Amino acid sequence: MNNLEVFIVFISLFVLFVALGFSGSRFRKGDMSDLGEWAIAGRRLGGYLAWFLVGGDLYTAYTFIAIPNALFVKGAIYFFAVPYVGITFGVAMLTMPRLWKIAKEKNYVTAVDMVQDKFNSKSLAALIALTGIVAELPYIALQIYGMQAVLTVMIGQLVTVDAATITEIALIISFIILAAFTFTSGLRGAAVTAVMKDVIIFVTVIVVIVVVPMAIGGFGHAFSSMKALPTGNETLAPLFLNGFISLVIMSALALYLYPHAINAVLGTSSTKRIRYSTALLPIYGVGLALLALFGILAYGSTSTLAMISKYGPVTTVPSLIYNYFPSWFVGFAFLGIFIGGLVPASIMAISQANLLTRNVIKPYKKNMTPQQETRYAKYFSVIFKFIALLFIFVISATYSLQLQLLGGVIVLQTLPAIFIALFSNKLEKWSTGVGWAAGMFTGIYLLLAANDFNSITTVLFKFSTPLSFLYVGLIGLVVNLVIAVIGSLLVGAFRGTSSKKAAKVEQ
Amino acid sequence: MVNYGVNDELSLETKGTTNQKVIVAILLLIPMVVFAATPIYNFNGPQLLGLSFYYWFETLWLVISAIFYLGAAYMLNKMESGKA
Repeated sequence: MNNLEVFIVFISLFVLFVALGFSGSRFRKGDMSDLGEWAIAGRRLGGYLAWFLVGGDLYTAYTFIAIPNALFVKGAIYFFAVPYVGITFGVAMLTMPRLWKIAKEKNYVTAVDMVQDKFNSKSLAALIALTGIVAELPYIALQIYGMQAVLTVMIGQLVTVDAATITEIALIISFIILAAFTFTSGLRGAAVTAVMKDVIIFVTVIVVIVVVPMAIGGFGHAFSSMKALPTGNETLAPLFLNGFISLVIMSALALYLYPHAINAVLGTSSTKRIRYSTALLPIYGVGLALLALFGILAYGSTSTLAMISKYGPVTTVPSLIYNYFPSWFVGFAFLGIFIGGLVPASIMAISQANLLTRNVIKPYKKNMTPQQETRYAKYFSVIFKFIALLFIFVISATYSLQLQLLGGVIVLQTLPAIFIALFSNKLEKWSTGVGWAAGMFTGIYLLLAANDFNSITTVLFKFSTPLSFLYVGLIGLVVNLVIAVIGSLLVGAFRGTSSKKAAKVEQ
Repeated sequence: MVNYGVNDELSLETKGTTNQKVIVAILLLIPMVVFAATPIYNFNGPQLLGLSFYYWFETLWLVISAIFYLGAAYMLNKMESGKA
């Protein structure tokens, strides 16, 4: 392996990527000091680019780093990502076209705009916006881990300092590049580079999933060289059945509650396009499934195992690629994985900043100029990334997937205010708020309890039989829903018909 | 129940006959139910290319679910245009 060649290919492609990102800010020129321009590209992105944004969201560090990593360490339960992807697009088919139509009719830009109108409450809207913003933070941290994993292997093979120093340097470099890129290019830059990211990633995924299993001698060989993993090797250990199903269903409900996912849907040009592209998205998931299986394939390759023990299980996929390809392709694939974390993290940070200025600050500070708005959003996008870094101290790279699942526990608490309000006017604002608080408290408390109040390594809480393990996000959401529904019924019974009159007067 | 909503949506009622709605519901529900019914695929055999049933069945269903969802998308789009 020529490590210098890997590095040169990586850097050359990265220069091209950055050039594209900057030219992206000039693409279909707009005034970048305007928030609409920076955050939603002036709503002039065609259906094609918008489709890339939605589909490309599937291939992030979650796919390349976190899922194979989790499968490698813990085993079969983390194949839950596959049924999750299968179900989530069904959920999207039911909810997203409706949200798009309401947004178009009422001129909404975020889902929280709808919450504010439906519940007629600035505070509930701000609460839901902040929840979405906080939920994105660990997801962004996961992307930074992904970028770091690639750099760790690449720099580690190139120079001979100790691995811990390299990892830290890699983390700092990843973070600075991410912050600078988001600040300057906005969503327009992210959308343009998303195309380059997806092309590189598609080539990488297809080549890698054909070559590596053959070189290793098939899955049979890998399975037979495996030690017993905690949640099962060939099949899921029965003890984890409920944990698996709760992870599947809750993750499927959570994806389209994330601000960045909704952002991309609202940028699409028609409901018909949303339905067709959503229907096809499970096929994208096949690549995710095969990459997940790399967590098993790694056991069939002693050279890969040696590398993983040196750089950590978070480098499962980069290590496999490194061991089975020529230098130039390793550089190419590594860049794909690197920007596969960079672009989504940037998109997430933009949707956070957009939500904060639009739904938290602006309703209380009406006299902001558009220039001020954009300046706030840009600086907040940098601040948020610093906060995201904090999550890296709470959850170690080995358990990087738990970052995304922690985000899930948080974002799921916005389900009543967003998904239920989408179809029904029967929820009352105070009950929804109290339900949110109770769900959030229950979810976070059980998460900490499940980890004995130490750093987070699992999101499953162990109940006594027959429940056994359950994803804490499920329990939080159930508590939330019960309170929101019963509360709304009680308030309704007290107010009786007077609330109907009040509603009419307000209109 | 009481309606708390300030503004009721006007033009969002789904068009189409009951039959069409039932078909759409079935097309969407089948893949979702199959994926969530983990005990029906949590087996080692029959294997495919050395891969246990558990892994390849879930992966294969990604493709099958896309076909079901496409059918639902086609029906919903047709219903939306009002060309029943």
